[in-house]
Amino acid sequence: MTMIDITLTVNGEKRQFAVSPAGRRSLNCCGEGYKSVKKGCESGDCGACTVVLNGRAVTSCIVFAAKADGGTVLTAEGLETDGKLHPIQEAFLEEGAVQCGYCTPGMEMATYDLLNRNPDPSALEIKEALSGNLCRCTGYVKQVKAVKTAAKKIAGEAK
Amino acid sequence: MPRSQVTNYLRPSSPEEALTLLRDGGKSARYVAGGADVARTLPSDVTTLIDLCAMNLSSIEERPDGIVIGATATLSEVLENGSVAGVCDGVIVDMMRKVGSPLLRNIATIGGTLASAHSWSDVIPLFLVLNAQVTFYNGEYRTLSLADAYAAREELADSIITSVTIPTSTAGDYAAFQKFSRTAYDIALLNCAAYLHIDDGRCSEVRIAAGGTPRLGERLPQAEGVLRGEALNTDTIERAARVARDTTKTADDRRASGEYRKDLVYAGVKRCLEGIAGKVEA
Repeated sequence: MTMIDITLTVNGEKRQFAVSPAGRRSLNCCGEGYKSVKKGCESGDCGACTVVLNGRAVTSCIVFAAKADGGTVLTAEGLETDGKLHPIQEAFLEEGAVQCGYCTPGMEMATYDLLNRNPDPSALEIKEALSGNLCRCTGYVKQVKAVKTAAKKIAGEAK
Repeated sequence: MPRSQVTNYLRPSSPEEALTLLRDGGKSARYVAGGADVARTLPSDVTTLIDLCAMNLSSIEERPDGIVIGATATLSEVLENGSVAGVCDGVIVDMMRKVGSPLLRNIATIGGTLASAHSWSDVIPLFLVLNAQVTFYNGEYRTLSLADAYAAREELADSIITSVTIPTSTAGDYAAFQKFSRTAYDIALLNCAAYLHIDDGRCSEVRIAAGGTPRLGERLPQAEGVLRGEALNTDTIERAARVARDTTKTADDRRASGEYRKDLVYAGVKRCLEGIAGKVEA
């Protein structure tokens, strides 16, 4: 099978990957490491495979890997620094927004994109931002709370 | 899913280069914009994908003739743009927030959306009533209204959309959009859009469209005729909505019956026009 080489900066580390020319879930990164990028619907509906690509949260299952060539990817593995959880991860834990956990990395990456652009979102804005991330355990109440808490933590750190 | 036969993923830097690649590739080559659609529906006989997103066509600019949206601007970039927000009191923003999820809007492009021409597209009915002009390249650069471009769709099959221009709003311009779907995230069972220019209390320009009927979004000329030259009031709104219901061609599919869709056309047109009437009074 034909393979092509692409270069991605994943969680700050520049890496080369050999991918199929129409390969997707690019950023599952080609099956290596990055276990936070879950396999879900494979059709852009569930959000389990969400990563931040060039600054924006996307369902990576419907992004051709070749399209991302030269780009920058952040996965949930890249959120923590020096073994310390990111405020978004802390907030999800503290608010109990994690049940089975399958949707959690995707939710966190959607939250990361939201809070980058809108540091103090309303409940409606949070629900809209997470509308592409399905959770089958909860009723989304705790995720909304977790995003609010994350926003406060980040604002606190910035002071 | 059948195994992909794709052996080439090309990223041309200009429309000229892209068109040459497509013509060289014949039936086995296919354009990709954001790719969200192609990634899910890639036919097994395609061997070459031609990615149009490396052509530096994603800017959004306000020019004298309108807001020029580059074809590879994502739906999120359109939604978040200040100039776009100024069109008819934010009607494009209202519509765009109802298209899929932010995760999808961060991938899908405006050019890809217009080119893939899905019947349920929320963008198409609104862009039809806003009189959007599509610029494309197929050996030469041409600009057509979106409606004319769709009418000539077969002969434009290898064209590359480079931008879409939305005329700048002026005083007296009003527009509204309505979408019906099972969930906020789902594609439309039916959608409607209306644009009115109100001059001295009367509708001097009227454009109404519906999509997901389940045909490709199209104008509703009979309903428009009810309002043209008339004042917008409870009576004319009711008559226009009834004519829209009675004259729109609808059909059954797995999402909804044609009968139900007729009722949705009535409700959608009525709500669009009532929304505009509310803004005119305010």
